[in-house]
Amino acid sequence: MISATRKWIFLKVSSLLMVPFMIWFLVKFVSIYDGNYQNIVEFFSSKSSTIFFSIFIIITFFNSALNISEIFEDYIDNKKTRKFANMMVYLSSLIIPIITIVILVKL
Amino acid sequence: MTDKNPLSPHIQIYNWHVSSLVSISHRITSVINILTLSLVCFWIWTLILGNENYQIFYNFFNSFLGKFFIIGFVWSYSFQILSEVRHWFWDLGYGFEIKTSNITGVLVVIGSIVITIILYSIRGILI
Repeated sequence: MISATRKWIFLKVSSLLMVPFMIWFLVKFVSIYDGNYQNIVEFFSSKSSTIFFSIFIIITFFNSALNISEIFEDYIDNKKTRKFANMMVYLSSLIIPIITIVILVKL
Repeated sequence: MTDKNPLSPHIQIYNWHVSSLVSISHRITSVINILTLSLVCFWIWTLILGNENYQIFYNFFNSFLGKFFIIGFVWSYSFQILSEVRHWFWDLGYGFEIKTSNITGVLVVIGSIVITIILYSIRGILI
């Protein structure tokens, strides 16, 4: 299987998984975003919120990183610049969810 | 070092159609979503730093600019969800006819605005 096909399959599978979690997050986020510190800690301390939000950010960062790398393929001509840009996106898509999940578990 | 890969033509050479508007918006919202989701993650990071640090985000989310950000965030996610569903139908082989594609494109744009208004209006009773 060529890498472009693999990437397309990853995009489609992650998109299918992402949408239900996106709906869940959107509904929850608009309800809690202006809450005070205690409300938000309470929300993210619950096991179901931690699990749902963790899965949501893993899938969404993964899907978005693939989408953004497609944009780089289309619009960045210089191979070195493109490679660097892709690396930064993939790296931040790995680091930000990991730190967030660790914090959620510790809350 | 330049690649032999051809680049996409610049978007300004095309005549604008609903399908091109939705396509470029899908890409823009992908970028917006990863940036806003990063901000939401930073918001969660402040929880472990205590109430004082949390207040920075609290004050922002409760300001005029913050409300604008939240509405933009909800629209961007709503748009992405509807646009992804449109892509699923394409992947199954449906909706390629120009008329259907234009209708679904308009539905994505209008639907995302309607969802944003509904979600933001009833947010108090959602939780």
